[in-house]
Amino acid sequence: MAQATITFEDVQTNGGKKVKLIKIAGQLDESNVDEEAKKIYAVIEQGGAGLNLIFEFSGLEYMNSKSIGYLTDWYSKISAGGGKVVIAQAKSNIVDILQVVGLTQLITTYPTVEEAKLAVV
Amino acid sequence: MAGENQTSEPVKITIILPTNAYFLSGIRDFTLSLTKNMTGFSDQWAYRFQTVVDELCNNAIEHGSAKGKDVVITFISDPKKSIEIVVEDTGTGPNKYNAQQMTNLLKERIAMMHSQYLGLRGRGLPKIVAEWTDELIFEDKPDGGLRVKAKKYLREKEDQVLLEAQNKATHLQLV
Repeated sequence: MAQATITFEDVQTNGGKKVKLIKIAGQLDESNVDEEAKKIYAVIEQGGAGLNLIFEFSGLEYMNSKSIGYLTDWYSKISAGGGKVVIAQAKSNIVDILQVVGLTQLITTYPTVEEAKLAVV
Repeated sequence: MAGENQTSEPVKITIILPTNAYFLSGIRDFTLSLTKNMTGFSDQWAYRFQTVVDELCNNAIEHGSAKGKDVVITFISDPKKSIEIVVEDTGTGPNKYNAQQMTNLLKERIAMMHSQYLGLRGRGLPKIVAEWTDELIFEDKPDGGLRVKAKKYLREKEDQVLLEAQNKATHLQLV
């Protein structure tokens, strides 16, 4: 069974924006993605309108098409609330799959977390 | 499995998998190692083919074979030429499709993906499997079930192929 860990951090901003840093490590596939996705839906629900998300993918080794579907849905929910979603430090194979499904047209990827923070604050 | 395969002869490996997504990570590890070490494909294409295999196996587990049945996965590596994956289900699953239905479904989903698609499901076949293979064939098995063959050819100038892939649609052979 694929293993994944998800951790959440609040990002402090000068402008008072709500920004959550979500680190996903390991592998997201059919065996675990539905359970792991619930944790992120809970954060989005708690955050409410105006929440911004930075996904830090430096430890993410694999994501399947269903996990990309969830990522798209999180983007839709955050955008509907006026927030932004960005990705930082994704490995080349992860960026490759995000590109082939067209998600990089919606969600910008950044090489560092600092650059991702600048994009949302 | 370290280093290059010592033979230039085609290698065929068949794995029988219980209908359970629990085992998919092992199949992905095997696919990545095989493609990196025995085919001549680049690391980028090894990761891509790993994803293709995962998506096809997952479809067979989700739709084609019932719990307690099997999914049969066959890798055919023709070193320096091609790699092919054949995934066979038993046709006992809750949402099984025949070859014609799969062909129609693929066409529908490719059309659906032309606009900005924000749905939860439906990207695996048209945006990953079809984009990252050169031939994709659906066949009905004589004893029931579906056989899906996905083949990728190795080109001499892979960078050129990558550039072409970005500029034009992937060739698909649908039977």
